[in-house]
Amino acid sequence: MGCGCDDCEKMMQPYLDGVLSEEQIREAQEHLEGCPGCDKRFRFEERLRHFVRVAADEPMPEELKVRLAGLRTAG
Amino acid sequence: MSESAPTAAETRRIAEEARDRVRFEEEALQLSDQVYRVARRLTGSREEAEDLVQDTYARAFRSWRQFQPGTNLRAWLLRILTNLNIDRGRRVQRTPEQTPLEEGDYYLYNRLESTIPDENPDEERVLEQLSQNAVVEALAEVPHDFRDVLVLVDIGEFSYAEAAQILDIPVGTVMSRLHRGRRILKQQLAEKAVVS
Repeated sequence: MGCGCDDCEKMMQPYLDGVLSEEQIREAQEHLEGCPGCDKRFRFEERLRHFVRVAADEPMPEELKVRLAGLRTAG
Repeated sequence: MSESAPTAAETRRIAEEARDRVRFEEEALQLSDQVYRVARRLTGSREEAEDLVQDTYARAFRSWRQFQPGTNLRAWLLRILTNLNIDRGRRVQRTPEQTPLEEGDYYLYNRLESTIPDENPDEERVLEQLSQNAVVEALAEVPHDFRDVLVLVDIGEFSYAEAAQILDIPVGTVMSRLHRGRRILKQQLAEKAVVS
């Protein structure tokens, strides 16, 4: 990885969160275009976030749904 | 005749309130899957998550009048849930000051890539080194203050502003805890993936 990778690493989270300024986005994109190492790590991070969300998901037990409905005071 | 008007108004008010209450309860119940998803990752076990969700709904149904119609019901429910969770004494556990300094954002990728014999593997191949269990275990290792934000934003898909409202902390704190929480999570994932 070449020059600017440290800065690019620091920009990864805010870049993917969409909270960088236009100038910072341009800066990051310029670096990513010329740096396959950083580009790959950014793509990995995007996939990782999705993987974490899916892996951490555990459906609610049906029986809890019934218990919650039983707590209703109205209707 | 002069007394019938207030009675009619009163009757109408009671009917409207009953209708609002039914609507509130129905809308709250429709969100229960999302509430449970967050609860499950904030707590250590399924049983704890179930108790927490049940207590949250019991309290929500009791204090439904405090909810302002038109505002964010999902965030309102999660605010109750996170407060109940904190009341349960989980604050006696680790505080952020005691957490180790996390590695940089590329750390996990670099560690995983180093375990693959191929030259220059693509990111999909690198991700395959992680298991679902590793994610669940690694999340449980993230200290509470960071995990609350991480679970709300990255798993519950709440915005920064919503997470700030739920946890009653500034948006800037949400952002810094999220940033550090993700790094701590990745460090934990690296350890679990590379050891196992």
